[in-house]
Amino acid sequence: MITVKNLYHSYTKDDRYAVKNVTFEIEKGEVFGFLGPSGAGKSTTQGILTGLLQLQQGEVNVVGYDMRKPSREMFNKIGVSFEQSNVYNKLSALENLEFYKKLFDVPTLDPMFLLKIAGLDHVANKKTSEFSKGMKHRLTFVRSMLNNPEAWFLDEPTTGLDPAIASQIKDIIKEKNQAGTTVFLSTHNMYVADELCHRVAFIIDGEIKLVDSPRNLKLQYGEKLVGVEYKLGDELKKESFSLIDEMDRLKLNDIINNGNIELMHTKEATLEEIFIKVTGRGLQYNETSI
Amino acid sequence: MRLLYNFLKDMRLSSKSFYFYLEIGFTVIIIAVLLFVVPENFENNLSIYLHLDVDDALYGEIMGTLGDNSTDEITIVDSREALEEAMSENRSSVGLSIYRENNQTVYNFVLQGYEEEKFKNIIKTTVETAFANEMFGDTDNITVITLNQGVEKLSDRINMIPIILTMNVSFMGLFIIASYIFLDKEEGTIRALAVTPNRMWEYLLGKMGVLLVSGIISGFLLMAIMVGSKANYLHFSVLLITTSLFGSALGLFVSSFFDTMTKAMGWLFMIIIIFALAATSYFSPSFSPMIIKFLPSYPIMFAFREVLLNNPDINYIYMTALGFGVATIVLFIAANYRFRKTLTI
Repeated sequence: MITVKNLYHSYTKDDRYAVKNVTFEIEKGEVFGFLGPSGAGKSTTQGILTGLLQLQQGEVNVVGYDMRKPSREMFNKIGVSFEQSNVYNKLSALENLEFYKKLFDVPTLDPMFLLKIAGLDHVANKKTSEFSKGMKHRLTFVRSMLNNPEAWFLDEPTTGLDPAIASQIKDIIKEKNQAGTTVFLSTHNMYVADELCHRVAFIIDGEIKLVDSPRNLKLQYGEKLVGVEYKLGDELKKESFSLIDEMDRLKLNDIINNGNIELMHTKEATLEEIFIKVTGRGLQYNETSI
Repeated sequence: MRLLYNFLKDMRLSSKSFYFYLEIGFTVIIIAVLLFVVPENFENNLSIYLHLDVDDALYGEIMGTLGDNSTDEITIVDSREALEEAMSENRSSVGLSIYRENNQTVYNFVLQGYEEEKFKNIIKTTVETAFANEMFGDTDNITVITLNQGVEKLSDRINMIPIILTMNVSFMGLFIIASYIFLDKEEGTIRALAVTPNRMWEYLLGKMGVLLVSGIISGFLLMAIMVGSKANYLHFSVLLITTSLFGSALGLFVSSFFDTMTKAMGWLFMIIIIFALAATSYFSPSFSPMIIKFLPSYPIMFAFREVLLNNPDINYIYMTALGFGVATIVLFIAANYRFRKTLTI
């Protein structure tokens, strides 16, 4: 569905690359996460994949179209949601969607249906200048679904949203993916990536450090610990046991058989911990980065 | 069809914005100024104060020469001092003191001091013709030849309309289209459009369409109120449409070299100022250096002037329209090419 080979991009057209030697493939129906801090090269890569930036060096193929010379027809097959809301403020939510709907040459979804799933149907005729940031973000998000895209590019789809709305957005992404949509998800949010992605790529300083599924990464880099909170007499004890160490396993078995366990959970490594381990850097926004 | 949707969307957006009404608002203000402030013709009655210190015979001869001169206001004063005093009170005046000295008639011109050399010569020649030659019976030697016999003269008020049409209608789009483009860029809506099957030329042409509508409204408003049915509106429409599109296309092309309105503003402003220089040659055709004739505003002003005449030079109007039509296409293709590479960065 999406193939990227040896991609390089320089905004200054010299050897100061924002993206260098990036290579990956995304299968049809996959949710592929592009994880990295701000300024790592996520938006540049997505920009090239969506035709917003010109392909300078490398090979990029999106939904069967060579991005060296992308056809406008390609945009009937992809959808792009932006991190920053970009709707017409002087038009209503419905007018915004009605306008974009007319630009596609393929069957499109009903704008009112989209407003409904975004929870904006009650303000369909309200000017978007009166919308909150979250409402605009949801409108930008559902706009990218208008043409029922085969490949869906989402840039920080839940950033800046309250947890309830973020959860709705994630549910929509899951539903669309189950219906067969391929998703390219750029984010610095490890929880979103962990929850949604079949595979993730860690990108930092314009280079991909690794590509794998969250499960494999956790198995490979996690410590495989089990945390237990149990009562020993009147005392509440908290302990972690390795699932590899024989002594720990026996002790854990003993607690399970005899102890009053109150809480027990696996302590797997988070994607952020793995990211730090692999790249030596965190995923938080770097305010000073471009 | 996408072009139509772009145009309709832009019309809807611009009808809710300040820029759309800017051009029309200016036109309304200009119409009001033309109607209520600017006279039909600028009166240029020069007062002449005349002091005569001559014998009765010459006095009678001079007064006879003045006869029924109705164009200039001539006032006889008693003394040279009275002449200067009258002139200091009326700055739009010249003085002439005629007296006898050494058996010769002396013509002494008294000017305000701000007059140009050309004007001084005209005054001198006029007085010489009016007084001296007639008095000495040389009028038969003076011949006046008019080179262009069929030249139509517009009233001073109507004569200003071609400049207003050129600067306010044809070239106002230069600024406004740049504002529309950079506003879209700032709001990010251009990036949202760029990931649809919408083509850049459809987007740009939609914007030009809006400018064309406001240009047509402004132009026809001005013409209908100021000229009425005297103008040929077919010629006018063709010229208005092509030059308005040219202004927008030029605005697009210039804007394509910049990424913000602030950066583009200086250049756009400079272009407008340079284009306005053509007005100097329009009002003073004797001053038409080649560099001014090369300005696009020059032929546009004169073509609009032709539209206002009873016997217009149709060939000139349509050649101008054709030239600007071709230039519009070239500029638009160049702007489209550049924006495709730069607008979404």
